[in-house]
Amino acid sequence: MSSANFYDSDRSRRPLISEMRNFWEYRGLIRLLVGRDLTVRYKRTILGVWWTLLNPLLTTAIMWVVFGQLFGARFAEGEDNYVVYLLSGVLFITFFSQGLLSTGSSITGASGILTKVYVPAEVFSLSTALASMVNFVISLLPLLVVQLISGVGIPWTVVLIPIPALALLAFVTGLGMLVASAAVFFYDVLDLTRVGVQLISYLTPVFYPISIIPDRFLPFVYANPLYSYLAVFRGFVYQGEFAPWWTFAMMGVTSLGFLTLGVWVFSKSWRNLVGQL
Amino acid sequence: MREPLIQVTDVSLAYRLARNRGGTLKEFALQLVRRQVSFEKFWALKGVSFEVRRGEVFGLIGPNGAGKTTLMKIVARVLPPTSGRVVVRGNVAPMISLGAGFNSDLTGYENIVMFGTLLGHDPQRMRERAPAIAEWAGLSGFLDVPIRSYSSGMLARLGFSVASDADPDVLVVDEVLSVGDQEFQKKSFERMQAMMSGGTAVLLVSHALDKVGEMADRVMWLDKGDVRMIGDPAEVIETYKATVG
Repeated sequence: MSSANFYDSDRSRRPLISEMRNFWEYRGLIRLLVGRDLTVRYKRTILGVWWTLLNPLLTTAIMWVVFGQLFGARFAEGEDNYVVYLLSGVLFITFFSQGLLSTGSSITGASGILTKVYVPAEVFSLSTALASMVNFVISLLPLLVVQLISGVGIPWTVVLIPIPALALLAFVTGLGMLVASAAVFFYDVLDLTRVGVQLISYLTPVFYPISIIPDRFLPFVYANPLYSYLAVFRGFVYQGEFAPWWTFAMMGVTSLGFLTLGVWVFSKSWRNLVGQL
Repeated sequence: MREPLIQVTDVSLAYRLARNRGGTLKEFALQLVRRQVSFEKFWALKGVSFEVRRGEVFGLIGPNGAGKTTLMKIVARVLPPTSGRVVVRGNVAPMISLGAGFNSDLTGYENIVMFGTLLGHDPQRMRERAPAIAEWAGLSGFLDVPIRSYSSGMLARLGFSVASDADPDVLVVDEVLSVGDQEFQKKSFERMQAMMSGGTAVLLVSHALDKVGEMADRVMWLDKGDVRMIGDPAEVIETYKATVG
């Protein structure tokens, strides 16, 4: 008998294995939930899917005016094409911040379903994180267009973008599941996360080039895992080169590490989750 | 002898009513430092045991707060028991909370597929069944309309139609004997009876004691999480009525 039509509450959950099996067994539902996330998001706005394309462009335009023009050339020095540098950073950090915040609220947000129908809660976390990755992929289009227009071009390494994208997906899913489990018990966790996300976004070289950072602060920048993800991504999407080896190492370790940690903590707390919702 | 489809053995369930429940992480951290963390446990069910066999209708009665809904959620796998063991054999159709997960921005068709998939059906099967499900609910002309514009009666009919579009081994029913208008009530009651008669194990919860007495083969009386009585419907209901006054 498949697990769908045999339920034994004594059969205990095996951390990581059970979650991975649930992800696979509920893949049909995950696909639907991702689709729902996107259609609902686009149906609610007049601009629809264009919003995803327009939003980062507007943000980039404002940053370009403020940092590239008003603050003078300091931000732009050392970067051949500041607009592409900005836009790639904005897209990537949006994927991280939106993904983490929406995944963090995925379980409390689905409480109406989870308290009434049996669905493994982690399914909602993964599908929310996946939806933000799909959004990110869609939003790459305007970046590529800007690269063509500005003469930066599109290097062959764009085909390797799935590597940093999937790594960030794992990172966001793991971190998001930690937040989502905690948010069930404490309602201020999401607010704290929002503040944290904002801080780490500023600490990541999105709109300033790494070259303007004084040497004594560099270790802190390098210690921020997002720096590595972004360096790898920028390398692939427009610089056409591989970022230093250690950024790949940092990316691999933190993505798998946080995914494992998030799922493991979730596994330990899921028994109390639904009762608390 | 075949094994019972629902097997509930000495099941207890505690809700943690911690003083910090619904509280903030900041408060919790402060309490932790002051060593004042305390969890009050509220036992919604205390050592409940029963079995439901194939073809049997098992009724559940008791006042509000007796633990009926909690017990249904445990059988429907939504809540894991704090202690004890639950075994459910076969696929379960939970006729509770019809329409959980309906999204007002999506169309009737999209919601049929989504709700059916949430109930554990294959999305492809739901896409194929959607026209028939809508027709049964009398909503064929509204499949492509966002359900935001549905009336509450239409939503209830849609929910019932999706949830009952299955051939379950185990049926968990909560007061859904009254959905929609007279005509639809009759129709849904007939479908429910057809589902019950086909060798399913039914867990039925209702405040309508007459209905329970009529339909159930055995009845359990729950009171504040304790099993007060279990047995012949007429007998249990009579005693219950006498106690409640």
